[in-house]
This record gives sequence, structure tokens and C-alpha cells, in this order.
Amino acid sequence: MMMSGGWRMVPMDMNMPMLPGLEGAVPVVGPFMPGTMIDPATLPEARPSLVVPLSNMDTLDISVSMVRRTIAGHEMIMFGYNGQYPGPLIQAPQNATIIVRVKNEIEMPTTIHWHGIRIDNRFDGVPGLTQEAIGRDETFTYEVRVPDAGMYWYHPHVREDVQQDLGLYGNLLVTSPDPNYYGPAHREEIFVLDDILIDDQGALPWGEESPTHALMGRFGNVMMVNGKTDHQMEVRQGEVVRFHLTNVANSRTFNVTFGNAAMKVVASDVSRFEREQLVTSIVIAPAERYVVDVRFDKPGEVAIANTIQAINHFRGEFYPHVDTLSLVTVSDQNADSEVSMAFETLREHSDVVREVRPLREHFGREPDHELVTTVRVQNLHQSIVLSMESDTLYAAPMEWNDAMPMMNWLSTADEVTWILEDVTTGAQNDEIDWSFQVGDIVKMRIHNKPDSFHPMNHPIHIHGQRFLVASIDGVENQNLVWKDTAILPVGSTMDVLVEMSNPGEWMMHCHIAEHLHAGMMFSFTVNDQAP
Amino acid sequence: MLQILALLGTIGAFDYSVTSSPAETKAHEIIPTHIELCTVGPQYYAFELVTTKNIPGTGLATGQVQASVSGNSPFSVQLAPDGSYAYDLHVSLQRMRAPLQGNLVAWVTTTEIDRIERMGTLDANLQASGRVSWNKYIVVVTLESSDDPHQEQWAGPIVMRGMSRSGMMHTMVGHGALQEENCAAYGYGN
Repeated sequence: MMMSGGWRMVPMDMNMPMLPGLEGAVPVVGPFMPGTMIDPATLPEARPSLVVPLSNMDTLDISVSMVRRTIAGHEMIMFGYNGQYPGPLIQAPQNATIIVRVKNEIEMPTTIHWHGIRIDNRFDGVPGLTQEAIGRDETFTYEVRVPDAGMYWYHPHVREDVQQDLGLYGNLLVTSPDPNYYGPAHREEIFVLDDILIDDQGALPWGEESPTHALMGRFGNVMMVNGKTDHQMEVRQGEVVRFHLTNVANSRTFNVTFGNAAMKVVASDVSRFEREQLVTSIVIAPAERYVVDVRFDKPGEVAIANTIQAINHFRGEFYPHVDTLSLVTVSDQNADSEVSMAFETLREHSDVVREVRPLREHFGREPDHELVTTVRVQNLHQSIVLSMESDTLYAAPMEWNDAMPMMNWLSTADEVTWILEDVTTGAQNDEIDWSFQVGDIVKMRIHNKPDSFHPMNHPIHIHGQRFLVASIDGVENQNLVWKDTAILPVGSTMDVLVEMSNPGEWMMHCHIAEHLHAGMMFSFTVNDQAP
Repeated sequence: MLQILALLGTIGAFDYSVTSSPAETKAHEIIPTHIELCTVGPQYYAFELVTTKNIPGTGLATGQVQASVSGNSPFSVQLAPDGSYAYDLHVSLQRMRAPLQGNLVAWVTTTEIDRIERMGTLDANLQASGRVSWNKYIVVVTLESSDDPHQEQWAGPIVMRGMSRSGMMHTMVGHGALQEENCAAYGYGN
């Protein structure tokens, strides 16, 4: 439905009626759509991602450009890295340095942030902190040294809520020289998880001057795996598939299930776990990665799904909701049984155990810094304020769905400020001024205040360093893994141990794109020499 | 007074007696000097247990339920296969006497009471632990004649009960801007 200012009405779940007083309301910012004066037919059709193996000091050229894509039957102008969705899957050996020359051909300035890589600070891709944004027709050359094996990803650090949502993301797989780094598997699959918000005309416009959906982040209503809405795969009975999962969505945390197939979690952001562990699902927040081995034991069809308990605020209830992400056909042809049997063994990664052991002595000590997360609103529509304030008796640990589509859409970064606050100094967001030395083990305690105007889970991301989640709510983590992003549920207190190993000016922020642009970020300094 | 207690004693599934002997009373009383607060788990999702006053010695009783994510979870939250939240629960009671007969047993049930699971018998410190994987739930402590771990539902009188914080998520109408629902009626502290 067309509304004033070129906006279209946000898609609504008819079970959740619009609040009185919001009829005809639109965000206070203008709408943005890419390439509004361009005929999509003149643009190249985007292609699926290609694998690009690189060796030490190899160079890759990446162009950031407009592409034509069709999603759920809608032809749209979107963005792409080298015309691909997702961007090229870059493979590089551990400790290599790769050169990536980026040319910006879109209408917005951009950068590339190499998410999770303990990279040379100059190439971290943060405009105003480590580089100037790359203007239209300008180039920037990144030197990306990859010290840690695992799955990483790259994306813009300029208006992620728009550019990332329009397709600017890709994976960087750093391979270990150890052929037994992971256990046996028959094959590997890359799963880039995303969602997009569309109506009967295609993608809903984004905010021009600042993001819409500032309260909860922009949830999509169409799910995608590797940019496809109809992802399918075929496996043999007993086949062990290693899935590399990356969540590139703006705000959605997925709970990925694999039917009744046996699954074990092997690795996450920056390392393997101390021990492989059987699980029934993978909870993956924006920007997180997980490596999970799945064995398909029975012939038939298995739906890989996002299996959640959504919330209907108007009815005050949880309700089950399942979105199929991919359909797996399991044939009755048997896979190699030796690999199938090896799945039963839960491997311990002794090098990870050895590496994290010295940090356990820090678990019991007082934190070096304490942060709380909260939110401040100003000039929000009165109907939104009234309904939010009257619904404050319970906030769920996680927001799995957009339970208030119109209120969320109408809230912009002009009206909503998400806050990371230093408990000791009271400094908020970019007022925070922390300085560390290389070699410091810094214990941060982060509390997600449940009594704010709109409490919500936050995937906290730290640039350029790696950290351990030591505990959640005082319960020590029994199976450690090096992370760069971790979920902080509502009401929870998370202790993290950050290993300051990489000098420079680094960001720490919420990885919900709209929260980031609504202020929830700051930078800290790591010095490589004593002052 | 003893007549009233005797009358209350018939409410349960079995009879029990209350002693007036000071020595015996002391042996079975557990009255801490302070009310324990939750030390593990998010304070926000902890909730109080409220006495029914049905059982002698429980008129001043207090209780708490802590809900925490297991340290074995590789994620910051813990979910059941259907996506429901799963918590490790820890029940603790204070300011009450341990029963002379029978066992205090903690249960968890859905808000519709259509599913019930036995958490376990409270120990000498009036504590018990268990797990739950329902989004809204009620914790109930009952006085049972049996200590059968396979008992499917309670048979004795309810001693304490409380609803998970998620149970406070009612309709927006129920918590409208001009309306204040009496949540104490549901067993909440406020």
C-alpha cells in the first residue's frame, strides 16, 4: 500500500493488529531504494558465489556494484561483490596475506570489514577510524593477513543496514595446514543465512538518512540460504555433512534445526571448541559462525529449518514457528561407513584446551570493566510509547521474530539511541575511552538491562581481537571457544575475557545493524608499547 | 490453635502431626537469618514462590526459583528442539519447618497444568534442582507421602507455588496503559 513520502506500508501479520493512532504513519526519514532511475534490465544478473582459492600474496579484485536479482518472484536492483550472491568465497591458507583491491561502483560510500580476522588495524574497514570510506569510483587496497583457521566473512562498515541487506557479504575460509584439523566428513557445505523484508512489490525501502527499524532491527519475512529461497541438496544415507554456518542477517538470530539428524557442534568464530558436543540445534546470532557436523541416517526428506517460539504480544503468548531454509533429500544409497562411524567420536581439541587453560585463572577475578546495555528514545510516536510502556512486565531473553512490525518500522535512529554504558564512569558509546596493552587479558562484564524502554538481545562484536565467554549469569562456560561475536540475552550478565593481541584502534559494538547505527558502539585502543 | 492445625492436616492426602515439643521443633526448623537472594542465573528471570499457608509451619515461608542456562550449552541461551527456552531450575525455601512426615517435592507444570514433571525431593536445606523446557511454567512444592521418583503428578497438598516471569506476558489489553492487573492474584510478588 502506497503511503506518504514514497513509503509503502510494512507487511503486517494479521494476527497482530495495528495500534490505534498509527494509521497512515510513516518513518520520519525518507525512503531509499538503490538505482531508482535505472532500468533493472540494463544491469547484469547476479550469479551464485564462486570459490576463489588464493595463495600468500595473491591479489583479488573486487568490484562493488549494482546487480539484478530475483527473490521470491520479485526482480530487484541489489548490490553485489563481483556480481555474485553471496560475494566470492575466498579461500586462503592460515598465516597467508592476501591482497584485495576494492573498487566502489555503487552510489554510496563503502568499505570492507574483515569480520573476525585479527587483521592489521589499517585494513579493518571502519570509516573514520581506520580509513576514509571508499567513494564512488574510488579504490582501496586491503592487505589481509589471516592468522587463525576457520570461517570468517566480509561486509561493509558503512550503513550495513542497507548495504549488507542488499547483498554485500561473502565468506573467507582460512584453511589449517593440519589435514586433521576437523574430523572426517563426506563433504562440506557453506550456508550463509539471511532474510529480507519484501512485500508484493519487492524489497521494502530502507531509511535514507538513517535506519528504520531501530527498536528491533530489520527482520526479513523471506529466508535465504546462500541468497536462495529454495535451497535444496541431496545426500546419501549415513552421509556426514560439515556445515559452515554464517548469519549475515541484520537482526534475526536463527535457531537452525536439522530434523532428527544427529548433529555435533565443532567450531565457532575463531577456533574449534575444546570438545565437540552433540546438540539439537544451532543458535546463531548476526555475524556469528558455527561449524556443525550432521549425519543423515534415514532415507527421506529432512527440512533444515529455523525453529523458533515466536511471540505474539497482542495475545501475550508464545507460538511455534518454523521456516524451512533448505530441503535435504536423503537417498537409500549408503555413504562410506567408516566416515559415518567416525561421527560417533566426540573429539577433544587438545591444542585449544592447552591454549585457553591459562585464561581460566581469570574466571574468578573481578572485571576490569563493566558495561550495561540500555536504550533511550525521544520523539517517538505517542502510541508506540504508550504500548511499549504498558507491556513491560516481561521481556523474553531473545527476540526471534518481529512481534511489532509497524512500531518497529516507524522507529528510526533519529528517535532511538541504543547505549553501551561504562558503569564506572557513566560514559556512553563514543564517550568511552579505554586503553590497553598488547598482552593484556581484559575481563569485561556486560549486563543487558531488562528494565529499559525496550530490552533486547545484542550480539556483541569486538574487532581485531578474540575473546572467550567465561560465564553467563555466573555459570561458568564448560566448553570454551574463541569468539569475536557473542549473544547477550535480555537480563543476562556475560563475562568475557578479551586477549588484547593486536595493536590499534578497534571497535566494539552490537551487530544488529540498526542498533549499531543507532549509536551502540565505541572504540578502544590497544598499544603495542608501554606509553 | 491445635484444632485448626488438625483440621488443616486433613486437607492433604495423608495425616500428619505437628509437635509442640520445643526440642523437636528446633530439630526440624530451618529459619535462616536472611532471605537468600538468587546468586546464579539472571535475576530478571528468577521468581518467588508464595506459600499457600495450607501446611503448619509455612505461614511465613518464602521461596525462590533461579533459572539459569547450563554451563554445558555452547550458546548464550539453551533451547529445546522446538525452540522453547530450557533452563536449569534451582528451588530454595526459607523460613519454614521441615515436615515431620512426608517429603517436600518440587514439580514443574505448564500454566494449563496439562503437563507435569517431577523435579525432585527437597533436601535437608530445603533445596531442589531440575530442568524445564516450557516457555511459561509454574513451580509447585507439595507435601507428599511418597518419595517415588517415578510419581507422575502430585497427590499431596500444595505448600508453595509460583509462576515463571514469562507467565507475566499477558495480552496487551490485560496490561493496557490505563489498567493495572493484580498480578499478586497469580502468585507474583507484585
